[in-house]
Amino acid sequence: MIPTHWFLILSAILFSIGVCVVLTRRNGITIFMSIELMVNAVNLTFLAYARQFHQLHGLIFVFFVMAIAAAEAAVGLAIFISLFHHRETIDVDEANLMHW
Amino acid sequence: MPHALSYMLEYLIFFVFATIAVVFALMVVLHRNPVIGALSLVVAFFALAVMYVLLEAPFLAALQVIVYAGAIMVLFLFVIMLLNLQHRTEEATRPVQQFLGFTTSAAFLISLVYYIGKYAVFGKLPDGRFASDARTIGIRLFEAYVFPFEMVSILLLAAIVGALLLSSRGAATRAEIPTEVSE
Repeated sequence: MIPTHWFLILSAILFSIGVCVVLTRRNGITIFMSIELMVNAVNLTFLAYARQFHQLHGLIFVFFVMAIAAAEAAVGLAIFISLFHHRETIDVDEANLMHW
Repeated sequence: MPHALSYMLEYLIFFVFATIAVVFALMVVLHRNPVIGALSLVVAFFALAVMYVLLEAPFLAALQVIVYAGAIMVLFLFVIMLLNLQHRTEEATRPVQQFLGFTTSAAFLISLVYYIGKYAVFGKLPDGRFASDARTIGIRLFEAYVFPFEMVSILLLAAIVGALLLSSRGAATRAEIPTEVSE
């Protein structure tokens, strides 16, 4: 059995990669993909702790996180499509006016 | 000794697929084309599904492959293709902002690993099999968690309606919203 902290360290690495993309990139869809990566890193932490303490709550929380991530991806990508129709770009630096 | 062999094999699978996950997640950082980023993220999600199997959660590993690698990333790829962004690679600008982003995330990683090493190194795992198959999860989901489960179904319905409304270019929405603000 692999100890829990190996999974926690892997999850920390993946989460930091996601943070790095959000801080350095300007392409909106790339930023959105790295948010999905961070959600997955947190899911890995939930499952590692669920196995460590033999609790089913962690698994069920991951189930709900997946459902909410699907909803978030659908609405977020619809927002990017709408932004592209109005601005012809998905560069997040260009979307700096809250005028509608 | 078959026990030592399976122990070794488990570590080997863990390190191989952890390396795959980290390398393909780094491709999202290093490659500037969004299609390459989306496809490498699919590979990283498959490697994470292997991690879920190692964590004795085979049902969630299947969900990871179906929902994340199957549905969500295909949605991302469809949107990239729909908006015709596959040839558009962003150029590296703003060196100060990039430098600050890399150093901040590196410091974040170092502090996370430090505190994991300090506080989250547990002793032995509890004995016995962790009952986490689809049957156990399903029974728990429809007994204790039936109210959040129904709430998620309403949330998904709201997400469908919201996505259709936001992405439609219908006449009703176009007439009300001014496309350009007058300078």
